[in-house]
Amino acid sequence: MKPEVSIEGLGYRYRGQQKPALDGVDLEVAEGEFVVVMGPSGSGKSTLCVSLNGLIPHFFRGKMEGEVRVGGRSTREGKVGEFAQEVGLVFQDFEAQLFSTNVALEVAFGPENFAVGRDEMVRRVERVLGEVSLEGFENRTPATLSGGQKQRLAIASVLAIEPRILCLDEPTTDLDPIGKLGIFEIAEDLKDRDDVTLIVVEHETEETLDADRIIVLREGKIVADRPAREVLRDVELLQESSVMPLQVTRYFHEKGLWQGQLPLTPEEGVAEFKRRGWRVSPDRHRELVEADGSREEGYGEPVIEVDGLTHRYPNGLVALDGVDLTVRRGEFLAILGQNGSGKTTLVKHFNGLLKPTEGTVLAGGEKTTEQGLRRLGQTVGYVFQNPDHQIFSDTVSDEVAFGPKIRGMKEDEIEERVDEALAAVSLEGRGDEDPFGLTKGERQRVAVASVLAVRPEVLILDEPTTGLDYAEQRSMMDLVRSLNEAGSTIIAVTHTMWVVAEYAHRAAVVREGRIALQGTVREVFAEEDELRDASLRPPHIVSFGNALGYPVLSVEEMLRVTEEEG
Amino acid sequence: MDPSLYLDRDTFVHRLDPRTKMFLLLGMFVLAFVFTAPLYLLVVLAIVLFFGYLSQSLANLGRIWFILLAIAIVSIILWSIFGSGETPLFLFVEREAFIYGVSIALRLDATIIAGMIFLSTTRNEEVAIGLVRVGIPYRFAFAVSTALRLVPTIVATGLTISQAQRSRGLDLDSGNIIQRIRKHVPLLVPVFVTTVRSTNVFSMALESKGFGAGSGRTFYLHIAMGSRDALVLVVFVLLLAGSIALRVMGYGELEGFTL
Repeated sequence: MKPEVSIEGLGYRYRGQQKPALDGVDLEVAEGEFVVVMGPSGSGKSTLCVSLNGLIPHFFRGKMEGEVRVGGRSTREGKVGEFAQEVGLVFQDFEAQLFSTNVALEVAFGPENFAVGRDEMVRRVERVLGEVSLEGFENRTPATLSGGQKQRLAIASVLAIEPRILCLDEPTTDLDPIGKLGIFEIAEDLKDRDDVTLIVVEHETEETLDADRIIVLREGKIVADRPAREVLRDVELLQESSVMPLQVTRYFHEKGLWQGQLPLTPEEGVAEFKRRGWRVSPDRHRELVEADGSREEGYGEPVIEVDGLTHRYPNGLVALDGVDLTVRRGEFLAILGQNGSGKTTLVKHFNGLLKPTEGTVLAGGEKTTEQGLRRLGQTVGYVFQNPDHQIFSDTVSDEVAFGPKIRGMKEDEIEERVDEALAAVSLEGRGDEDPFGLTKGERQRVAVASVLAVRPEVLILDEPTTGLDYAEQRSMMDLVRSLNEAGSTIIAVTHTMWVVAEYAHRAAVVREGRIALQGTVREVFAEEDELRDASLRPPHIVSFGNALGYPVLSVEEMLRVTEEEG
Repeated sequence: MDPSLYLDRDTFVHRLDPRTKMFLLLGMFVLAFVFTAPLYLLVVLAIVLFFGYLSQSLANLGRIWFILLAIAIVSIILWSIFGSGETPLFLFVEREAFIYGVSIALRLDATIIAGMIFLSTTRNEEVAIGLVRVGIPYRFAFAVSTALRLVPTIVATGLTISQAQRSRGLDLDSGNIIQRIRKHVPLLVPVFVTTVRSTNVFSMALESKGFGAGSGRTFYLHIAMGSRDALVLVVFVLLLAGSIALRVMGYGELEGFTL
């Protein structure tokens, strides 16, 4: 069978860059295959995607080597628009791709460009919306959809052109766990069709189990190209490539199992665990639970107190409905919930960005409505999700100095605080660099430093790990943990479940504007059914522990409580 | 929040062909500029509001009332100060100058409300296809509808960014005018960077969906002039002609106003 995509010696260097983004890539993808591409940030994954439909070399400026052939035809030979019928490309930033005033028109845009007849177009819109489970949404405005629905719409708008190859660039990055699942259900259905070849860039290993093949990229080169299950069992390769290994797999790997025997899913893990006659030591597990308890007792006085908080938006939508919550000094609280559940609305009350419609919010013992934003900022610092929404200075130090400067501090005081904040985020000595030249992970750190420079007692982080690779996520969260240990109270809004499990102390689940569940992370994650009702799913190792009857939060904890002798 | 003005309703005005609505909008502009007397302009404003009522789009007034009010106040004050007339009203302000200010306020607000009603009842895609059907090349028509889309998107980004910067202690409401302008740098730079980035993704997405791939193009939306459109157009052309005739005959003018 002739390959659908054939790449030979592909190299690409963006104009103005020293290092090539891709370097000597050889790859063949057969018709109907499902291939996942993984690798650290900046390894060339997105570059590979845009070279499939001719955006490279036609849209981007830079130097291309080698050859990309799609259906036998070189991408050098035709316009991007001509390849659009062969290769459907869905970009990571789904917000920026949607531009129509309703869902049906969004889907119809592609077929319109190819002069598809109106009757056929109507049929396609109906069919594709069915494929992505958006039936009945035809007249909705894309802006009113949830994140998962927007991403599914972006996929539908490309599927309507009926491409033979569909390439999704990190389609699940901004989505809650159930939103992710929705995307992978679509992938699943497409995989079963022989006429669609699927290429997906993904960094969440849990979602790649059904792929035929995994390709690992590092610094623009392919370092592995093997069947999915084989790559997923190669724990060391994944770790070296800044990809998070499957937790159950890593657990058994640490226990010294031979690579070929490693289980992948919690179910396989439980079977293997029982087959080997291992058990969980109740004593050691009790120690973990007791450690949670003594940590709870160590917290200080309440620093955020929410009482009967209701928030109604001007359009009448009730975003929060009678929320009570207390955060005490020294806590590390994770706020979880589906996209649109009200979690961001909730935390925006803590620093006064939003005012309660009913109820009160106290920060540092005083009503937020009676403190100005600037004074509140001294107690509660807020790091927004996208660092590009706040960075504006020419140098990193100027950016970090913004908060202290605007509060009228003296020159030497400002300098001391900037140095302190940059050291806290491990960017010491880089104050003179241009923030726009940094990586996403580093820009995220600049944003954190700029909030730290004001020395707030409470630090709110909105999705601190989105768009970062595994190594960057780890280092970001290690930083947050060290800030917490140094005395900061941390409130993190996130849907990266393993981050919650390994780093947070307490968790509150927001569902339809109410707190559905709260307690220590261990308590909350033990309630798998209730989490599912809130569209959440605990990480694999937690499900593994829960299935054995002992909630654990990390691979390390599981290793600690395992007893091998029967 | 949905930053676009469009309201998805099924009303008489919504069902009009986009070409008819474009003609109505232009006609309203002409009407508003034909007269200078406030009473006549009040009638024009009443017609505009009647369309707003018919199309159930007056709710959007709540989103732009501030602009309307600001324009009205500024124009009344400016014309009262800088215009002159014959009858003293108070201090150095003459009656005619004040009334002229009121007229200009009515004229500007009527045109803005007409524009608002147009955007509340017409999809961007309908604007595009309407323009194509009157002979404008698709690429240009698409650019117009994209520009209409871009404004609310930039406003929404701006709101998020202003929240982020206010959280860091930025206070936009104090200081003199120069200080206030300088304070907007932390807003403008991120708005610019974010907009350029998302525009870049947008144009890649367009290319990847075959924008401009072939010479031909079909439209999902079907537009056609019906008897409804014909009726509205005839009535409106008569109204326009009548108004211009009135004006030529010397009605609807403001007497005694000079600059």
